[in-house]
Amino acid sequence: MLEYVYILPLLCFAAAGLILAFGKWFPGKGASIGIAVAGFNFAVAATLFFKALGGGLQLPYEHSIPWFSFGEHLATLGVYVDGLTIAMLIVVTTVSLLVHIYSLGYMHGDPRFKRFYSYLSLFTASMLGLTITSSMMVFFMCWELVGVCSYLLIGFWFEKPSAAYAGKKAFITTKLGDLGFLVGLLALFYCAGTFEISKILELAHANALPIAAAGGAAILLFFGAVGKSAQFPLLIWLPDAMEGPSPVSALIHAATMVAAGVYMVARLYAVYALSPAAMNVVAWTGAITAFTAASMALTCFDLKRVLAFSTVSQLGYMMLALGAGSFTAGMFHLTTHAYFKALLFLAAGSVLHAVHSNDMREMGGLRHKMPITYVTFLIGTLALAGIPPFAGFFSKDEVLAGALARNPYLFLLGAVAAAMTAFYMARAFIMTFHGKPRDAHKHDHAHENPATMTVPLMFLSVLALISGWALAHGELFEHLVNFEGALPFELHHVSHGTVALVSTIVAVVSMGSGLWLYRFKPEIPAALREKFSFFVDMLEKRYWLDAFFLMWVDIGDWFSRFLFVFDFEFLDQMAIDGWAWLTLKLGAVQGWIDTYIVDATVDMFGTVSLAGGRLARTVQTGFVQNYLLFVAVAVSIFAAIAFSG
Amino acid sequence: MTLYHYLALSGLLFASGVFGVLTRRNIIGILMSIELMLNSANINFAAFNSYLYPDRPLGQVAVIFIITLAAAEVVVGLALVMAIYKNLKSVYAEDYNILKG
Amino acid sequence: MTEQIVFYLLAGVIALSAIGVVTLSNVMHSALCLGLSLAGVAGLFAVLGTDFIFAAQILVYVGGIAVLILFVVLLAGNNSGGKLPRQVNRQWLPALIICTAFIWAFYRITAVYAGSTVKLPPTASVRGIASIMLGEFAVPFELISIVLLASMTGAVLFGRRKPE
Repeated sequence: MLEYVYILPLLCFAAAGLILAFGKWFPGKGASIGIAVAGFNFAVAATLFFKALGGGLQLPYEHSIPWFSFGEHLATLGVYVDGLTIAMLIVVTTVSLLVHIYSLGYMHGDPRFKRFYSYLSLFTASMLGLTITSSMMVFFMCWELVGVCSYLLIGFWFEKPSAAYAGKKAFITTKLGDLGFLVGLLALFYCAGTFEISKILELAHANALPIAAAGGAAILLFFGAVGKSAQFPLLIWLPDAMEGPSPVSALIHAATMVAAGVYMVARLYAVYALSPAAMNVVAWTGAITAFTAASMALTCFDLKRVLAFSTVSQLGYMMLALGAGSFTAGMFHLTTHAYFKALLFLAAGSVLHAVHSNDMREMGGLRHKMPITYVTFLIGTLALAGIPPFAGFFSKDEVLAGALARNPYLFLLGAVAAAMTAFYMARAFIMTFHGKPRDAHKHDHAHENPATMTVPLMFLSVLALISGWALAHGELFEHLVNFEGALPFELHHVSHGTVALVSTIVAVVSMGSGLWLYRFKPEIPAALREKFSFFVDMLEKRYWLDAFFLMWVDIGDWFSRFLFVFDFEFLDQMAIDGWAWLTLKLGAVQGWIDTYIVDATVDMFGTVSLAGGRLARTVQTGFVQNYLLFVAVAVSIFAAIAFSG
Repeated sequence: MTLYHYLALSGLLFASGVFGVLTRRNIIGILMSIELMLNSANINFAAFNSYLYPDRPLGQVAVIFIITLAAAEVVVGLALVMAIYKNLKSVYAEDYNILKG
Repeated sequence: MTEQIVFYLLAGVIALSAIGVVTLSNVMHSALCLGLSLAGVAGLFAVLGTDFIFAAQILVYVGGIAVLILFVVLLAGNNSGGKLPRQVNRQWLPALIICTAFIWAFYRITAVYAGSTVKLPPTASVRGIASIMLGEFAVPFELISIVLLASMTGAVLFGRRKPE
């Protein structure tokens, strides 16, 4: 079965092309193809997953064919499958399938329906390729491809200027990180002499890589992850990416693509584990991200943006876990988060689809109108807040335990972020579904969505309910995804139960306070908002990160302008135009020489010929007697010569 | 009388014929001048024949040939003059210049 | 002595009328002068004793060519009667110089015959001429008759009225 795993991305690629070119001849305008392929992929991935959990697969599996060679190096195309790959594979295919089905309802009637499915398939193909590839080069290609798909899908409704802007922003911001990724990749190639993941890992496990260089390469690669996974300070693009359709937000900007950065770090974890510096960078970046993003979500009124900040924050958790040395916890959180965050996004999309607004201030009291959405959103909220026994509790608990084992300050940041997470989720939940309808018109028009949208919600709720417990049970996930190498630092012993208790108390207390405040005393948050307007402003401006980057843009702009002026006023005027002037003058001199010497010489021959002709012409009078006179003269002359001698 | 006198007269006659050919504007005048030149040749032939070779009248034969040719020439020439005159309404040689470039 | 008088008389007539031919502005006068001049030449032939060409000269030149020219002058000459335009063109001076030079050179050259006075008495030469022309000059004789025929045909052709 593993031998044919390469079919998955290829099938999706084919589906993307097929939908785009011939979609209109298939049922559902080509959506049927996309769903069929996604279903097939899900079936394969699920089979692999359960086989792997049961230990029925020989892992890691690797197979590759030569692609091309450069110098003595060989680039290959191939698959590398281990437990990590399979964990990622099941996440991608599950969410992909559900989003494909969900989009049937959500995108119904969109003029670019066909194109949407084609993009979804293309994205899935790239993501699967990224997951199973055996070569870092192909990994990078797929990495960029998912970036392109993200750009295309964020700007899917490009008639809206904000959507087009958001797409551009996402693309450019992630490119900033990808620059580091590319350099890091080349540095890694320089260290390891190969792009093969298996060989790189082998060398890293054998401690055969130069530690400083490998650490540098790892940090540079992490820049790519910072961009892709929206870590601090490149997190600014993800909230804006919510301009895209909600299924896209669920698939790309919650579950899979943004997790690609985390996956990359996990994929090359052996390399990161060589260098304490790299691990620290990853951990602290993750912790800061988790904290800042969670704080930003506190004041946000846009439902999808709240979820986006929460996504950023949770990605920060994953990075924190990886950087703190809890490899399994990081990947575990990735898996559970993918499910409940996809659930939340799809539920939010369902709300949006019903009320046609993102703003929570225009919602409220929707729980009777949309019961299924209400329940599923509640499950997602509880999972995200980390309330037992929902999925988020298990994974977040492990992350916090790992953080505490590494460094108490990391734990502190993570715990505060967890408290804020519970609070803002309670706030969003209450503002959306409870209370009195704040916009009666929108409330009246709201209705429950069709089965194509609710069924994926229900399926995901089940996963959000049980996946944490099921995978944590008997350390099932740890058997699948585990890091066997040595960590560069000692971990403290931590009592797991204590951490679980503390985190549960924190989550319950903050969630409860959030529920109580927004349900019964909504005037208190409003008053606080008034009082601490500076902090609110700071949070709404995202710690001025946008301004910071725009400042650089402005500086770049100004510098370009300066260069333009310099180029135009100085270089062009002095050098180019100077040359032009000089050339002009030289040309004039040459022109003079040409006209008055060369041409004149040539003309002289012409003039002389002409004058001679004119002279000779006078002889030809056309007057016969004239000719006779000449004859007579000539005869006289000859006679004179003949007889004078 | 010596041969020289005849030759002198014929020279004068020839020179006036040449002068006429070169200077007359009238095409008929030119033809007449040509007749003068032919006559001067005739005088020469006859004189040479009489003074130098009196035993055989070869010079006189030549004169007869010349007279014949002159008659033919005048006939054709005058016919041409008439034809040209009919076309151009002019008897002046300088008007006959349609071949001039 | 008589011969000398006759010669100079004829020479004067010939020279003057020849000059008249080339200088008189009225073409009719020129043509008459031509006739006179030709007649003078015929007289010279008589003086020389060449009787046959004397007769031929009178017949062909004076009786034929001069009359023919007179006819043409009457037909095509500018007999408007008023003031005639210039009859001499602009190159008369070079022509005069050339002619003078020619006469001078000719006299220089022919001066070798200045002493040649031996002259046989004139005899009838028709028989001799006839034997030569029908003997060794038979072919040119025939050719010249063809030339005459051709010229006559040509003259008729040229003089013919153009078919409309």
